[in-house]
Amino acid sequence: MIEGHTSRAFDGALAALHMRVIEMGGLVVDQVREAAVAYTEWDSKCAERVVERERTVNAYDRSIDAEQLTLIARRQPMANDLRAVIAMSKAVGELERVGDESKKIARTVIGRGSRPGSATTRDARHLGRLAVSLLRLALDALDRIDPALATEVIARDKELDAEYAAGMRRLLTRAMEDPRHFDVTLEAAFVLKSLERIGDHARNLARHVQSIGRDASTFPAAGLSTSSVTPQESHS
Amino acid sequence: MSSTTVEQKRDTATSPDAGLNLKPSGRRATAGSDAESLTLKGDMQTVGTVTVENPLFQCKDVNVYYGEKHAIKRVSIDIGRGEVLAMIGPSGCGKSTFLRCLNRMNDTIPGARVTGSIVLDGQDIHDKRQDVVQLRARVGMVFQKPNPFPKSIYENVAYGPRIHGLAADRIELDEIVHTSLRRAGLWEEVKDRLNQPGTSLSGGQQQRLCIARTIAVNPEVILMDEPCSALDPIATAKIEDLIDELRATYAIVIVTHSMQQAARVSQRTAYFHLGDLIEVGETDRIFTNPRHKLTEDYITGRFG
Repeated sequence: MIEGHTSRAFDGALAALHMRVIEMGGLVVDQVREAAVAYTEWDSKCAERVVERERTVNAYDRSIDAEQLTLIARRQPMANDLRAVIAMSKAVGELERVGDESKKIARTVIGRGSRPGSATTRDARHLGRLAVSLLRLALDALDRIDPALATEVIARDKELDAEYAAGMRRLLTRAMEDPRHFDVTLEAAFVLKSLERIGDHARNLARHVQSIGRDASTFPAAGLSTSSVTPQESHS
Repeated sequence: MSSTTVEQKRDTATSPDAGLNLKPSGRRATAGSDAESLTLKGDMQTVGTVTVENPLFQCKDVNVYYGEKHAIKRVSIDIGRGEVLAMIGPSGCGKSTFLRCLNRMNDTIPGARVTGSIVLDGQDIHDKRQDVVQLRARVGMVFQKPNPFPKSIYENVAYGPRIHGLAADRIELDEIVHTSLRRAGLWEEVKDRLNQPGTSLSGGQQQRLCIARTIAVNPEVILMDEPCSALDPIATAKIEDLIDELRATYAIVIVTHSMQQAARVSQRTAYFHLGDLIEVGETDRIFTNPRHKLTEDYITGRFG
């Protein structure tokens, strides 16, 4: 839906922007995955890698920002193009915050924290997998600009929220049973919270995808080629 | 650069009418905004880089006078190969006047005087040995209103190559007409009616015919003076896409009232104001972060 302008240069600029956002998304998904592994395997090397790569994520954020500014100034996008550019800008914001959450999780491993117990690790691993798959799905929706897929992401975020609530309950129970390791529990709570937030960002990203596609699908002439459209047909 | 150029430059710097176009008295004293006080400096310094790495045109201290009126004030700018340079600015800022310097179109205007040096590919275009007809073949021009000759589509394109002797025979001429129309993105639309009059085409097609006519004589530079202002948005988009394609082969200088168009088609943008070249820069930068207040006021619609 991004192609087809008379100005092929505009097609190119939009496609390039779209690709850069997806690229950044790929990197961010990897960050989440590695951060979750770093926490559950208590792998400080892996955690350091995440922290280090967060800079790259931020660099993407800044450079896409600049690209978008230029694209808006030079191409004056309208209608679905305008919605797409704004949605992509917001999507980049979500991805940047996902990056921040990953870094927070990784920092837990590098800092003075201590390794969580096996039950907590299990919860974190599960939530981590859910968050990664949700984010992947959201990125897929953005890649194909597929509003139906975006709807699925939004529905599946509830699943992650429920798992998070259950995980937190278990964490609290354990903390009450054995309050000696309260610091570890508190850290674990922050990690679970971060993973839950990542799910929220995936959901928001899906909403931004919907905002691109929404109006176009209700167009009277959507999908009809211009040559075959008579006024009567387009209004029926 | 020749010694005469240096003398001309000195001449204009001290010429009595150098500052004539500034509104007299009061302005200097009030100096309301920064922008205004900046324009008051007799020796206006252009903001940004006026030179390019691989220049085709090098303009230095160009002044244009229409009788008493000092229309262009010491403008220096390079035009690079393979780039589209857009010249923007309010009406009467001198952008068209400057464009017309580049192929000596101002020569035809009585009372017009041009000083400074304009060097095309190492040669001063004001040199006595410079043949103006040859110059205009190297530096083609497309005007605001499409102006096809009252002849057939074929003849419109064939005319230039014929008078410049670019084709040895009819076959070669056919080839030139074919290539030019194809490059101008018009071939598919006119291939079956080459003998019909050029004026039978739509406005957008006529303008592309004029572009085909211009490139038929194999120019190095194409000057465009408001090439889309008489066209609808779709024809405009086609011309703009064509410009983007042509810049691989030709340097293009375009004067436009539409700064959106300048933003869309150009790689570099020059902003003119009251005969001064205020700012030159990458189009990406000019439209996101101009340095001069006058440029910013103009492109954000805060002018005047």
